[in-house]
Amino acid sequence: MSNIIRRIGQTVVILLGVALLIFIMLRIIPGNAIVTMMGEHANAEAIERMTAELGLDQPFYVQFWRYITGVFSGDLGTSYSLNRPVGELIATSFPNTARLAIAAALFAWVLGIVCGIIAAVRKNGILDHLFMGVSLLGVSVPVFMVAMVLQYLLAYKLDLFPISSGNAGAIGYVLPAIALGWNSAGSIARLTRSTLAEVLQEDYIDTARAKGLRRLPVITRHALRNAVLPVITMMAVQLSSLLSGAVICETVFSINGIGRLAVQAIEGRDIPLLQGTILFSTALVILGNLVADCLYSLLDPRIRKEV
Amino acid sequence: MKKLMALLLALMMTLSLVACGGGESEGSADAPASNVEAGLLRVAALYDITTMDVAQTTDNYMVPMNIFDRLFEVEVQKDGSTEIVGSLCESYSVSDDGLTYTFKLRDGVVFSNGSGLEASDVQYTFERLLTAGGVNDDIPLEVLGAEELKSGAADTLAGFKVTSDVDFSITLAAPNAGFIAELTGPAMSIVDRETMAEVQNFGIACEDTIGTGPYKITEWVVNDHYTLEYNDKYWGEAPSVKKMVVSIIPDASTQNLMYQNGELDILDLEYLDSAIVESTYKTAYADRIISGSRVGLTYLAMNANHEYLSDVKVRKAVQMAVDVDTIVASVYAGDAIVENGIIPTGVWGHNDQLQRPAYSVENAKKLLADAGYAEGEVKFELAMDSSSSSNTQLVYQLIQQQLKDAGILVEIKPYDESSWLDLRKSGEMDAFIANWTMDYNDPANIMYTFYGSAEKTKLRSLNYADEEIMARVAAASGITDDAERMAEYQALEKKIVEEDAAWVPLLGNMHLFALGERVESFVPYWAGYSNFYAKDVQLG
Amino acid sequence: MTEQNTFRSVLCRLCRENKLAVFSAGVILLFVVLAILAPVLTPYGYDEIVNAANRLAPPSAEHWMGTDEVGRDVLTRMLYGSRISLLVGIVPTVVSMLAGAVLGILAGYLGGRVDSIIMRLADIMLAFPSMLLAMVIMYTLGDGIINIFLALALVNWASVARIVRAETLKLREAEYVEAARSIGVGRFTIMRRHILPNCIPSLIVLFTLNIPSAILSESSLSFLGLGIQKPMASWGLMVNTGRQYLYTNPWLSLAPSVAIMLIVLAFNFLGDGLRDVLDPHLKKQ
Repeated sequence: MSNIIRRIGQTVVILLGVALLIFIMLRIIPGNAIVTMMGEHANAEAIERMTAELGLDQPFYVQFWRYITGVFSGDLGTSYSLNRPVGELIATSFPNTARLAIAAALFAWVLGIVCGIIAAVRKNGILDHLFMGVSLLGVSVPVFMVAMVLQYLLAYKLDLFPISSGNAGAIGYVLPAIALGWNSAGSIARLTRSTLAEVLQEDYIDTARAKGLRRLPVITRHALRNAVLPVITMMAVQLSSLLSGAVICETVFSINGIGRLAVQAIEGRDIPLLQGTILFSTALVILGNLVADCLYSLLDPRIRKEV
Repeated sequence: MKKLMALLLALMMTLSLVACGGGESEGSADAPASNVEAGLLRVAALYDITTMDVAQTTDNYMVPMNIFDRLFEVEVQKDGSTEIVGSLCESYSVSDDGLTYTFKLRDGVVFSNGSGLEASDVQYTFERLLTAGGVNDDIPLEVLGAEELKSGAADTLAGFKVTSDVDFSITLAAPNAGFIAELTGPAMSIVDRETMAEVQNFGIACEDTIGTGPYKITEWVVNDHYTLEYNDKYWGEAPSVKKMVVSIIPDASTQNLMYQNGELDILDLEYLDSAIVESTYKTAYADRIISGSRVGLTYLAMNANHEYLSDVKVRKAVQMAVDVDTIVASVYAGDAIVENGIIPTGVWGHNDQLQRPAYSVENAKKLLADAGYAEGEVKFELAMDSSSSSNTQLVYQLIQQQLKDAGILVEIKPYDESSWLDLRKSGEMDAFIANWTMDYNDPANIMYTFYGSAEKTKLRSLNYADEEIMARVAAASGITDDAERMAEYQALEKKIVEEDAAWVPLLGNMHLFALGERVESFVPYWAGYSNFYAKDVQLG
Repeated sequence: MTEQNTFRSVLCRLCRENKLAVFSAGVILLFVVLAILAPVLTPYGYDEIVNAANRLAPPSAEHWMGTDEVGRDVLTRMLYGSRISLLVGIVPTVVSMLAGAVLGILAGYLGGRVDSIIMRLADIMLAFPSMLLAMVIMYTLGDGIINIFLALALVNWASVARIVRAETLKLREAEYVEAARSIGVGRFTIMRRHILPNCIPSLIVLFTLNIPSAILSESSLSFLGLGIQKPMASWGLMVNTGRQYLYTNPWLSLAPSVAIMLIVLAFNFLGDGLRDVLDPHLKKQ
């Protein structure tokens, strides 16, 4: 238990560090966001007034204090380019990212684990080589390439899916999820294969087999349960890479998600929005890892004892 | 361990429900055309709007154009010519000195919330643009007493007199023959005084943003889409489009694929490379393309304070070295016209007699050599707004190559939009290429904006220095005789382009749209905006 | 056993055990040669508009891969693009390896406050989704290849530091280190002479595995328009601009995509092979 409390304490420190780092990084920038916000035809006077209104003429430490106190009261500032509270923008776009990431993770886990099991069982067989070759390909292909090829073939040529996922409902998430999950599927397959292959060499598996149990039950009942723990940790790590890949997928498939919001924020020099999206995504990853750690220590008796 | 597996399984199932449950009720946009709701128009925009309040923006006009009305509108005739017609204003007259305009409002117009339109609403609209700290106060500033109201020295707009519910008059500080034309601009959308006094979030909240136009805004999911629906209290003819959904698709190539898949009813081809337009749209969709003229032009501006560009001979050499014909043919596949002046084709006062110096690499080289420059000595930076359309970016690259052929070394430097504007404002930018689209159909719009004062020339025409010319440009809008006024503008234009070579006119491109099968006809906005009136769309 | 012997024996084992890795090394070498010889191999410049009227031309004898949207030779841009990809693969990875190794050893060996400061910093860096962190850094620093180097180095040093620190913690208790300490060898000498060399096998493996991820990161950034800027040639950027023409001139975006895939695959195969030979237990991390 004390371990978990310590982890939570660490998490808070890291979160604060992350917030500070983002804030500092985003203050060293050129370009006047207000101009972008009000359009080319705006006059100088209006721009000046808006700058004062947003507190951008204040010294650095005042701005930082305002920001930090704002974050704690749930106020992430107002986006320049979209002219809305950042919190509201994140609240509208996050469900889309979550849907995409969850669908992608599902795809990756199912495909990765199934391929990993088959490869481990048929170690050094044709299927093993094939799957491992393909999985390395999965890890090596840029996300945008998978996304583009899927969009071109399945949506454009065969017209099976909508081009843009925005208003298309669940079916719109199939292609982006595959594109996003592709990389993860590769690494999950490789991890499942290596851990399972190791477990399959253990003595108790031989014993079970010797007792006359059929092959499949041995794998599912005995081997897989011991191989699943590293894969769970892997899933937490995957959250971070899913969010990274989502930036690309959301751009290609026009999904109004956090990643696209971040890209838009950069294009529009929209500091509050960029700050908010990055802070939110990073906090998500940090909390995800915290939850995974806690789950892990609850699930794995060995770790529980160590605590 | 069994429990663990069960737990995992349950977790996965819940997640998959969450994953799939999200949007099923929204219906598939991929449905064949026949399944699309009757009266629905589906279009896409590259960026979301930031506000629906014209006081706060100079370019987010899609919603204001459709939910508000102006006093006057520009109507595009069958032959493509334009005419200014009354909208909320039924009739008007001008005094002989050109200073006082007397207007009569259309009878029985109501806002979409039932509140009636009165002359005081127009007065409120003018005063609000001046006092609400907005960005669109150029036009009301022309009214007598506007400066006083804006600075707080006066409480009301002295030049604005309401005489009855439907009658009012406006007195200008100085005569301006283009005043009525200016009133057609989206910036002059009329709002309701009574409603404005009650609502909190005008321009942001749909229910607070009330106009007299053919549509009302019913939904706006930021960064995702917004929906306009027919306003059944609209005073004019009921439009064919009953509902319009504008999806935010920040990528032209995705929009292109969506159109081909039948997910969009009108595709703006402005941001697609002309090669795609040529190979796809002019073949497979040839009968689905319509062209709105773009009343505006693409130009190259050069900094008069620059080491080399300050020399008029260098500027003339640049004018000669640019081969606009090739650019038109290659980048725009012929869907553009070569512009030789400042006042674009289609604008009142355009001079089609203007000639540009003949394209000649040799003459350009010779001019530079005569002026005492060694080959490759003249160099400058061409600053590019990296958010400009891919066609504009191609123009940059071609011009760089063409100038290189003439021995002028140009470096293209991309900037993000705000840094680019900042650099322009500082007056330190060497040169840039940009498009200007007319806000209203009068040469004053472009002449005054680019050459009207030292402040304007610093930003727009990069330090054009002739103060006498600036004074004449500023004074020209006060000439009440139209023929005389146009002659003055044309003389000034000739001086700036031919004698001073301060401006390299490039081209005006057609603004093409592709219409989906459900659309029967569509008239784009006269100035060639991407924004349009949904009432000008006829569904099949 | 000298360093050189180890290196040679590693190579021999690699050749014996993993033909694919050797083949991949050959592919990488080919890319390197092509990148270096680019100006010799093609008569065109990477930003030279060969023929504006003939833009988006299909492959022909003069232009083996056709011309792009401005009329530049695509093959030329592919060749020059390989320079960017290789540089972006190697330079930031070297920088992040050096920084990560030094900080990791310092943290692991010195412990205490140094350790906790360095490792908290590493934790903070690792908490960011890497793509988003790289985007923020690019936003702050502005476009340009040097800034991409910096951004990717900043993103990657932390994981290296973490692995090196773990290794150092193990090595610190090793007998020969104890021995060195007991005869009064200075701390920094121990780190340099005894700990660093023993981290090298893991570092080599990490190095080959970090290169492809750096290449992928650059191509993703450029694909989003946040990396290399026109008129320079980067494969990611070429995909970005070529995407518009995906269904009219598919090679414009597919050729650079395939190139990215090939080089990343080659580095991954090589890294895999090296890992099996050098450092079997790293596999689990």
